[in-house]
Amino acid sequence: MRTDFAFVGVMLLVVFGAVAVVPVLNGLLGPKKPNAAKQATYECGMETVGDAWVQFRVQYYLFALIFVLFDVGGVLLFPFALAYNGVAIWSVLVVMLFAGTLLAGLFYAWRKGVLTWD
Amino acid sequence: MDAIFDSINNLVKIIGDAIAGLVGSLLPHPISDIVVMALGTLAIFIVVLTLCAGLTYLERKLVARIQDRIGPNMAGPKGLLLPIADAIKLFTKELTTPAAADKWVYNLAPIIVMVFAVLTYAVVPFAPDVIGTNLNIGVFYIIAIGSASTIAILMAGWGSRNKFSLLGAFRTVAQLIGYEVPMLLNLIPIIMLTGSMSLVDIVERQWNTGVPFLIYFPLSALCFLISGLAETGRSPVDLLEAESEIVAGFHVEYSGMKFGLIMIGEYANSLAIAVVFVSLFLGGYRGPILPPYLWLLIKTLLVFFGFMWLRGTLPRVRIDQLLNMNWKFLVPISVVHILLIMFEGKLFVTDPARIAATGGILVPVLLQAVIMGGTSIGLLLGGLLLAGRSVRGERLQHDADMTARRTANQKAAMALVK
Amino acid sequence: MEVSQIVFLILTVTLLGAAALVVTTKNLFHAALYLIVSFFSVAGMYVLLEAGFFAAAQLLVYIGAISILFIFAVMLTRGTALITPLNSQAGAVGVMSAIMFAILAVFLWPAPIRLQEVILGGFRLLRGGTYGGEPWQFVPNNADTAAVVNNATLRLGAALGDFAQYGALLLLSGALLLVGVIGSIWVARERKIADTRADRSEAAADARHEAQLESEAEAREAAALPAGAHAASVEGQH
Repeated sequence: MRTDFAFVGVMLLVVFGAVAVVPVLNGLLGPKKPNAAKQATYECGMETVGDAWVQFRVQYYLFALIFVLFDVGGVLLFPFALAYNGVAIWSVLVVMLFAGTLLAGLFYAWRKGVLTWD
Repeated sequence: MDAIFDSINNLVKIIGDAIAGLVGSLLPHPISDIVVMALGTLAIFIVVLTLCAGLTYLERKLVARIQDRIGPNMAGPKGLLLPIADAIKLFTKELTTPAAADKWVYNLAPIIVMVFAVLTYAVVPFAPDVIGTNLNIGVFYIIAIGSASTIAILMAGWGSRNKFSLLGAFRTVAQLIGYEVPMLLNLIPIIMLTGSMSLVDIVERQWNTGVPFLIYFPLSALCFLISGLAETGRSPVDLLEAESEIVAGFHVEYSGMKFGLIMIGEYANSLAIAVVFVSLFLGGYRGPILPPYLWLLIKTLLVFFGFMWLRGTLPRVRIDQLLNMNWKFLVPISVVHILLIMFEGKLFVTDPARIAATGGILVPVLLQAVIMGGTSIGLLLGGLLLAGRSVRGERLQHDADMTARRTANQKAAMALVK
Repeated sequence: MEVSQIVFLILTVTLLGAAALVVTTKNLFHAALYLIVSFFSVAGMYVLLEAGFFAAAQLLVYIGAISILFIFAVMLTRGTALITPLNSQAGAVGVMSAIMFAILAVFLWPAPIRLQEVILGGFRLLRGGTYGGEPWQFVPNNADTAAVVNNATLRLGAALGDFAQYGALLLLSGALLLVGVIGSIWVARERKIADTRADRSEAAADARHEAQLESEAEAREAAALPAGAHAASVEGQH
């Protein structure tokens, strides 16, 4: 397995190197005429008002939380799916109960209105 | 005759083996392995880039034709040199870095987007023995790489130090992490039936049983396709990058080739989703007469044609409609689908040896496929019916609210006039 | 020196360096990014230990979910004012960490291996030597480990469903996740204005103030109305 992943490691390094060349090349080939207006932060053509502060809603965090629930659930379901063929019916029932727990979490969040708007 | 046929079929493998042999005879043992792997990486990289460049041209032509216009036809005969013209244009643009940007984070983000997009191709089988590496966790690796690439979006949004790009990055990430759940949930039925996460095993099983997984799990195929489209940010779910939405989203401060890298990264991602979909549901590189790599190319281009068709036809979806569809429709239906298939897989068994071990009803393969496919379609139709009913209820409620408000306003206006 | 040893060295340096940078850098977002680098190194180490599934699970869960949760939480509580001064309790924290490390080392040390053997073996490793008489490997390449390594994920899956092994723990972990989600939703709920005592009294004061303003406005209106309109409104009231 280590040798299998060696390809991934080599690919990571090679592609990183190949892609990192591109902005460098662009920097060499493109014109360089910086001025204050070009380097100012973009705000639909107006002057920026205040620092880059964003009204961060708590909905983002709650969506990420539900995602963590299903992510970990999925990671636990994958090995069981691998072993599914040789496993008895009661194991299937146990895992069905587990998947039902995940679904219950989603329905709770749904009913509490957490899944509305972004 | 047979030998010629075989060599055409295995053309890529023969070339690859020849190069590997050549390098192996020149360099000592561990280094030659690394060099061969690096050459393989470069080959994949170049093929993917060329295909993506060609697809940008094809997409613009196709979308133009759908919209009853001609599309690009100035750069070269029939506009065929468009990708080269685009590349030259992007390379010679000025890299205007915003003064307040966080240099390292801002510059690294497009590179990481592109790197993760290409990393997916390491486990995709292009032909019977032509694959980057046959990881035994193939599909799981693809999901993990797709998940890890959301960090690059956050880096791009934050590195620009621009509140619009930060907001765009947050919404993008909310969409991306949302749609990963149906993607990983819908792979589970396939892994259950194949008993392996390796893409090669999945393709071979489809060939050996003669039934592609599209027939077994049409619901999974549909949900995987929709999630894949939403993951890579293509229209009709292209809120991430739409020019008229929130000032072009998280990549507003990128110019020149950095922007080009993000765009090509998106195409590479879409192509990766298409290729993985073909390998998982349509039988991959296996097919009757043509050589395997041709089959893979044809099937992938057909699926990508479907993507481009969707882009030209459907209007954009709002972010709250997007997230609603994901969490309230796709995820519940995927989980229920897994539960049903788990149950049916143990009930209707195709292997007589397993009946003795774990019990069940013996059915031929085709019947099992039809039963599971039928469950899938039934669940899909039921889910759509439920969703339609609830949406209809909401729409009627909304109409009633509007009418009530209108009459109240009219009454107030009449009272004022009196 | 084998390739795997070089890779292990690189991964270790990356991991320790990134971890050190996480706690010393002043920019919170950079700290989150260095944490992600350290997660990548840990995933690499899982690969070296022949646990490919866990490497991918590390990528999926830690980098794909928990890091994003972390960054969202930082943004939620601090906005983008992310420059923080170094902790003024660093000295005391250092002493406490050393004590905890010593306690854990004493209790978790694998019994047959002694500390000096590990340290000396480590130096021998760097020079490309052997450990315990055989060439040192992360996972020995013999028959019994091969069977485990090739089937590890499958056996994990079977064990997860089996009630005699990990099935009950699976259900427990599902319940734990559910409790976490319910707790977070409860904590992050939208509160109505008068939920706490202080808020309630404040709300009452607000209501009184508003009533006072309204009566003042009515008085002003009544005084400012011309006589005709006043007569008309009086007529309308009948």
